[in-house]
Parts: sequence; structure tokens; C-alpha cells
Amino acid sequence: MNNTPPVRIRVQFSKDGDLRFTGHLDLQRLFERALRRSGLPLRYSQGFNPKARLSIASALPLGFSSEAEFLDFWLDTEIDLQEVQQRLSAALPRDITIRHIEAVPNQAPSLQSSLLASEYHVSFLPEIDTQEVAAKLSALLARESIPFSRRAKTVDLKDLLLAANWQRTAEGLELSLRMKSTPEANGRPDELLSLLGLTAGSYQVRRTALIFNADEMTKHG
Amino acid sequence: MTNNQPTNINKKLEKILFSVEKPGRYVGGEHNQVRKDWNSVKTHIALVFPDIYDLGQPNLGLAILYDIVNQQPDMLAERAYSPWVDMEAQLRENKIPLFSLESKTPLNKFDIIGFTLPYEQIYTNVLNILDLSGVPLLASERTAEHPLIIAGGQACYNPEPMADFIDAFAIGEGEELILEISRAYQEWKRYPSPRLELFQALARIPGVYVPSFYEVSYAEDGTIHSVFPWMQGVAMPVKKRILARLPAPTTRFLVPNVETVHDRISVEIMRGCTRGCRFCHAGMVNRPVRERSPEEILTAVQAGLDATGYEQVGLLSLSSSDHTRILDIIREVYARFKDSRVQVNLPSLRIASFSVDLMDELKELRPGGGFTLAPEAATERMRAIINKPLDEAVILETARTIFEHGWLSLKLYFMIGLPQETMEDVQAILDLARRIKSIGKSIKGNRVRVHLGIATFIPKPHTPFQWYSIEDAQSLQSKIDLLKEGTRRADIKMTYNPPDSTLLESWLSRGDRRLGAVILQAWKNGARLDAWTERFNVTAWLDAFAACGIDPDFYTRRQRGLDEILPWDHISTGVSKRFLLTDLRLSQAGKTREDCRNTCFNCGILDAYGSLKPSEQEIYWGCP
Repeated sequence: MNNTPPVRIRVQFSKDGDLRFTGHLDLQRLFERALRRSGLPLRYSQGFNPKARLSIASALPLGFSSEAEFLDFWLDTEIDLQEVQQRLSAALPRDITIRHIEAVPNQAPSLQSSLLASEYHVSFLPEIDTQEVAAKLSALLARESIPFSRRAKTVDLKDLLLAANWQRTAEGLELSLRMKSTPEANGRPDELLSLLGLTAGSYQVRRTALIFNADEMTKHG
Repeated sequence: MTNNQPTNINKKLEKILFSVEKPGRYVGGEHNQVRKDWNSVKTHIALVFPDIYDLGQPNLGLAILYDIVNQQPDMLAERAYSPWVDMEAQLRENKIPLFSLESKTPLNKFDIIGFTLPYEQIYTNVLNILDLSGVPLLASERTAEHPLIIAGGQACYNPEPMADFIDAFAIGEGEELILEISRAYQEWKRYPSPRLELFQALARIPGVYVPSFYEVSYAEDGTIHSVFPWMQGVAMPVKKRILARLPAPTTRFLVPNVETVHDRISVEIMRGCTRGCRFCHAGMVNRPVRERSPEEILTAVQAGLDATGYEQVGLLSLSSSDHTRILDIIREVYARFKDSRVQVNLPSLRIASFSVDLMDELKELRPGGGFTLAPEAATERMRAIINKPLDEAVILETARTIFEHGWLSLKLYFMIGLPQETMEDVQAILDLARRIKSIGKSIKGNRVRVHLGIATFIPKPHTPFQWYSIEDAQSLQSKIDLLKEGTRRADIKMTYNPPDSTLLESWLSRGDRRLGAVILQAWKNGARLDAWTERFNVTAWLDAFAACGIDPDFYTRRQRGLDEILPWDHISTGVSKRFLLTDLRLSQAGKTREDCRNTCFNCGILDAYGSLKPSEQEIYWGCP
């Protein structure tokens, strides 16, 4: 067993293309295997069935793309960050790109526990009348509460939504959303959009930033 | 030249992928996927596993062929699988043809579509895939504009039920055949020529069966009167292909981006089996035994793990403990990988303490979970009939050793419906399982779990039992009921095949050419994904039999005459019918035959393939 303190590495990565259809658990497995292929000296958990230690900040809903996913993993020895990035990049599928890499103190809080919110960018298929969507959204947001039932319980989307803004682009109107992303309260843009009568596949969502809490008070992305 | 429009499909896919379950099944893009420029190669081959991605992606046979074809500079292989029902509905609704995962090219744009048919319950999926690809289902309706449709795999040792749909079958081991077939196709493609010439060229390749060149006629009682090869120069019988030396194992496995049933690399350590269990199709059709050397296996495991990042390896064979150097292999695997945290699966272990020792040698590399033993029958009389001789004392001793070495869970496999089986033999399964459980309890206490897996015997082609009928449904049900009740009382978990799905496997594995019409009609009645218990629709099949005026019992509930021409007699596995018959008579007399690695019983393999046998120093063949 290795008793030296591990080296904690944090990467920000984007997830695009066909990998949008790889879910959270599958993505964890994908990283485990890519890290093994990279040949980096991974720190493993102890016990009967040792696993490479890694942790992804927040599960990205299936079908979303992102430029602001965060992963922590641990190495047994210190290695030049540039080399880590290079070896990991070479082992990753083309739809994942490492955008930033840094070493993080071992005692820093976990990604999950310091995550507060996510920002999303929504674009719509040409056949969608975005003016109408915008009007429906305004009407929805004017309500006291926006109940939405998830399997066992009902959540209030009004409470989960922190901000919504429209921008005019060359492609038409696009929507920016900021929603809570904590273990207790996690907002999903697709839930909000379903209340506007939009079906999955008629729009595309890209996560553009994660907002972490107090200690850092930083917006990444 | 080619009219493929992958970008078009990509655009349409973009919409529908959001409305299907597990869309990652349909997009490809796995690590180690091979992507070649379509126009840079001459021949395009679609390799298809006719069930969903989750089951098909880990298939070792297709992984080998994919690797072999893609190593050819002038060929490419891409993959396709059955869509699940939700995706099929979307494809049909949006008029999207079924496409390959790599380049999203519609399957009808490929030169060759090759299906692997490892078992029979996926036959309707083949039809469904052809239909979704815009390829006429019947071979007789296809023209030179359509892809060549070929099939291979373990079920093809009786190709007849699928003869209407497949242009050419590859019988036996496919590593060389796939290239010989592709080269013949290339040669034919050079000049515009009728399809018949392609088929003639294919039929000249040893191991290729072109069913349209054989005319089958029937006697008044419905049995086969004759099988006549009407085309000049075609083989009769068609002799399976084997490789004298197994080629170096494939190591460039694809690493799926969504979970599949076997997320690991597989290395075949040995092909064939010398045990001679009389019910065992695989044991009869895959002769002779050929081993890979420990060095070759170790190199392949290392290369496979390096190329994939996988954390699990399966060392595959029909009887792992029978590899002459299995102890060396396991010790070296342990020495090499003890620090790299991989798990090593070693399935198909013989019932002997030696097998437990082998697992022990793996120490921390052995996977968690239970140990599996397959006595197949619970009385010594029954085990003599099926030629799996084992003393009960050895079974109990092996179970004891397993519990003593720390395993808490033991899975036991048995068959019911075997020839000459009585209720006492079935009761004995319960008694044995209970005794094993109490041994476990005496060693490990109440945490011990015993799990009973019950399979229904189906007399398979090319085995000594091929002439038998399957047991009637009522009698099978009463055996299942007895076991269910007994295991419930003893707190033993039991799983079994539903009798209906056993019927389907029996019809399709024992059928003749006339079943083509039934398969087609069943597919029209909505049958597909029949291997999925929740999807299997027995009514669709019974209606199809009725519509075709064919009695399904003719194939399953009838003892076949020893002088009858069986639907698969013109396909030769190398094991002679005379040998099978002698073995059947020995079985009826309750006599066993020992492992044939020491004593040759002249099964026919050495007559057929002995001239290929390399020297003993070079490679181990199981034949003395």
C-alpha cells in the first residue's frame, strides 16, 4: 500500500458529439479506462475491489453537450501537469477535450460539495417559434410557483431557476439559464422546457459554466 | 459512385436519439473503432450481430472478424446491431434505413453483409435488419445490385431453417473464410457478371455452403427424401473449415461508451473439448482441441489490457481446467498482473478440487461473487447416459473445498428433459443441491447461498442425441414444478428456461428448409427480439406454423429414424454419423467413454483433418 499523500489533479473538460449520449456512470467508467490507458500512476482505493479514485462534479443529463465539466483524480506521484494533460488527452475519445488542468490541495472540499449552480445555453431547431417560447416562459415565470413532478416527489422549478435570459444570435433567439446544482436541489433545463411544450430533440442544451461556492466564489467556464 | 449519405442520416438521427432508451447504442465512436475513408477501399463489409448492441458488442467472434477485415488495406468492416423496439419504431416512422455505427452508412450500400448466428432465437432479427436496410428478405429476390448476404457462427451447423434468406453460409471457423469470401467477391466485382457466377465461385471455397445449389425433396411422411447438389462441382457434404493453428488472438478490442453485458477483454485459450458429453453441441462441432501457448496468451492479455484500459479479462474455452498448461498460465497471469488490479475470469471449470486450486492461484485477481459447477445431472445413472461421469463424492468434495476456501455462493447447473430421465433423477437434483447447501452451512454458516440453474435439454444436431425428441411440455412442467417447490422450501434460488422459449430453440435448431416460410410468417406476425423473454411471442410462431400448414411437433416431438436423412446431414463437422450412432447406443446401454485425449475413439476428426495436424512441439492438439 502506498502511504504517501496522493496528488490531486483537477481538469475541466468539454463533452460533445456522440458522447452526449454517454451517461454519467458510463462517463466515469470511460475516464477510468482512459486513465488506465494513459499509463499515469493512479491512486487506487483500498479493499477487495480496488478502483481508481476519481470524481466528476455533476452529472450532465443525457443528450446535453458541455464545455464546463469538472473531474478530480488522484495520482501516486507528482508529474508535470503538461505531461499529465498530454497523456490523458491522447487516451481520451475525440469528443472529450481537456480545457484546463491544475493541481488541487488534498484538503480542498470535493467538487460536488462546493458546486452551487450551472449555466446552460439552449438553442432551438429552426422550426420552433422562439418568440412564442419566450412568451410562454414569461407567463410561466410570472407564477408564484412552478410545480414539477419527478417520479416520487414534486419540486418547484421556480426555486431551482436562478436566472433566464434571451439573446439574439445569427441563428435566432437563444436562451441562457442559470439553475441550482446542489445534491439537495438540482435544476434541469429539460424539465423547464417540457412545461413550455417543447419535446426533447427540438432544442439543444450546452452547459457553459459551473459555479462553485464561497471558498472560491468563482465561476468556471 | 456510392450513394451513401451519412451526413443525411446524422441529421435525422440527431432528432430521434433523444426519444429512445440508451441512445449510446446507436452512435459508435468507441475507442479502437476503425474508421476508414469509404472511397479509399474497394470492398465494404457490414458485420452484424442480430441482437441489440448491449449483447452483440462484446461478441468475440465478430471482434476477431472486424480486426481481420480492417487489417486489409483494400477493405473496411463496419458494425451494426438490432435496434431495440423503440428505435425500430423511430427508424420506420422517419424512414431512416438501418445504418452502420462507424460511418452511418445504410446497410444496403455495403458490398457484403455478414451476420453472426451464435444461436437460433435471433433469426427473426436477421429478417428485421434486412427489411430495415431495404434489402429483399429472400435470397431468390435479390439481384446484383444488392449486397451479398452471408452468415456464420455456431447455429450455422444446421443452416437449413435460414436457407431462404442467406446467400452463402460460412461453415466452421471463420478467420480465413471471411477473407476468402471477400476476395472471391472482389474478383467477381471486377467485371459485370451475373450473381450466379459469384455463388459458383463461393461454392468452390471449402467450407462455404450456398443453399440454392442444393435441391431438397421430401418423402410422403414429410421426412427428407434426398438432398441433391444440382450445380456441378459443389461439395457434398460441405465440410467445416478449421484452423490447424489458432492465429494470434485479437487484442484491439473496442471499448464501448455505454455499458454492455461483458465489459472486458476475452482471450480464447483453447478451442474444442475432448470430454465428449453427449448433449453438448459445442463439444462435438468444435473438434479437434487446439491450445494456445501460455506465452501467446500472456502477450495477448497484456496487449489487450494496454489497448483498452479494461480492468477485466476472460480466459475463454469450453473446459478451462483441461488446458494442458493451465497452471502455468494462471501462475504467470498472477505474477504479471498482481499489481495492476485486473480481475481474471476463468469460466467453464471442471468439477474437481484442482479447479478450486486454480482459482486460488489467482488470489486477489479472482473476481468476487460465486463459484460455478455444472454437474448437468444428479444421479450416476443419468451422468453415464450423458457421458459426464463423476462420482457424487467428487462433487460433494469439490463443493466442500469451495466453501472451505472462502466462497459463500455456489451456482449449480443441471439439465432436465434428458433421455431416459425419471422423476427420481429430477428429485436427485434437489437432494444434491440441499446436501451441498448443508455442507456450505456447516462450514460458513447461514451466509451460504446455493443457486440452481436449470436448463431444458434440446437434442442438438451433430450430437449423439440428435435423433431424440424433446420431452412433452406437460412432463417438463411437472419437473419444473417439483424443482420450484423443492427449492422454495430449501431456500435455494432457482432459475430456469421458460418451456415456450425452449420450444422455439428446438424448432429452429432441428428444423429443415421448410421452416423458412414459418420464420418469414412469424416475423410478419410481429416476432422479433425472441431471445428476450419479455418480448417473446409464442402465438406469433404458432400462428405462423398454422398459416404455413406445418406441424411444429414434427420437428420436436418425433423420435427420428436412425436411417432418416437429417436436415443437417449434408453439413459435415468432421465427426462421423457412424460415431454418433455408436455413442448413442453406448448411452442407451448406460456406458461411458473416457476423455478422448488419451484414447482415440475414431470420431472422424483425424480422418478429416489429421493431415493438417502440426507437430506436437509446435502446438498441442487434443487428438493423440
